[in-house]
Amino acid sequence: MKREESNIVNSQGSLSVSDESIARLLCDDNHVEEAVRLIMKKYGEPLYWHIRRMVVAHDDAEDCLQETMINVYKYRSTYSNEYPLSSWLYKIATNESLKLLKNRAGFTMSVDDLGDSLKDSVREEASPDADETLILLQEAIALLPAKQKMVFNLRYYDDKSYEEIHQIVGDSVNTLKTNYHYAVQKIKDYILEHQL
Amino acid sequence: MKEFDLEGLSREMPYKMPEHFMDDMTNRVMSQIAGQRKQRKERKIVALFASAASVAAVALLFLHPFGTSGLNIPDYESISQCASVDELIQNMTAEDLGVYSMMSNYYGN
Repeated sequence: MKREESNIVNSQGSLSVSDESIARLLCDDNHVEEAVRLIMKKYGEPLYWHIRRMVVAHDDAEDCLQETMINVYKYRSTYSNEYPLSSWLYKIATNESLKLLKNRAGFTMSVDDLGDSLKDSVREEASPDADETLILLQEAIALLPAKQKMVFNLRYYDDKSYEEIHQIVGDSVNTLKTNYHYAVQKIKDYILEHQL
Repeated sequence: MKEFDLEGLSREMPYKMPEHFMDDMTNRVMSQIAGQRKQRKERKIVALFASAASVAAVALLFLHPFGTSGLNIPDYESISQCASVDELIQNMTAEDLGVYSMMSNYYGN
């Protein structure tokens, strides 16, 4: 593959190299490092924010993102081009986030029991000039069960279709729709209850 | 009942990402990957040497299937006969000879 093809930057300064090109590089042992670099450039930030919305603390998001990228390298042979590259990347990032939360929950608790501690972290992690409603929104998201949280974040922030969320999370589209509906209702109720 | 407009809300996050975080992360990931690739290469070389050694060992077994009978290893007696005692005594210093005669007397040789 020609190097020029994989380094196309558009007028907005963002990388416009196609996922197919990145996937081809990823499967080629001589270009795998270039592929990882391109993935970091194209998906690094969206993946960071996806992870951060799940784990809340920056330090945790940092560990998860690093582990995600190492797993992308390690398990590149498991990538199948019948799914979009972005879905595969989000799936790895989601699994890493859940792994971290499971470790935190330990044997005695479930990930869903971490809601209150994650909610407390939201305010600690928020910038001093952050909008109060945005903080409340993150608190409400932190209190959601993990599955509802994943579906809500992927749909609301990452604009993923239910089909894409199905590729990432694995549940049926109808189940995902139900999860999203419940998540939205809980978030609205929380914000209305806590808004001044 | 009052309805909250979630769709009208900004998608901004109330957190900030540290400056240069993505560049630092990219460098860290790339160096970790380079380390893993180096380790993999080293493992491959070790495996290659191990398999070459195994092949050599098997080949040696085929060439000399019943011990070392085919090999030309000199035995102790032939080594000891290489130099005569007289020759050795001629090359000794006066001090060595003194020690030698004392030891000879002691052991009765």
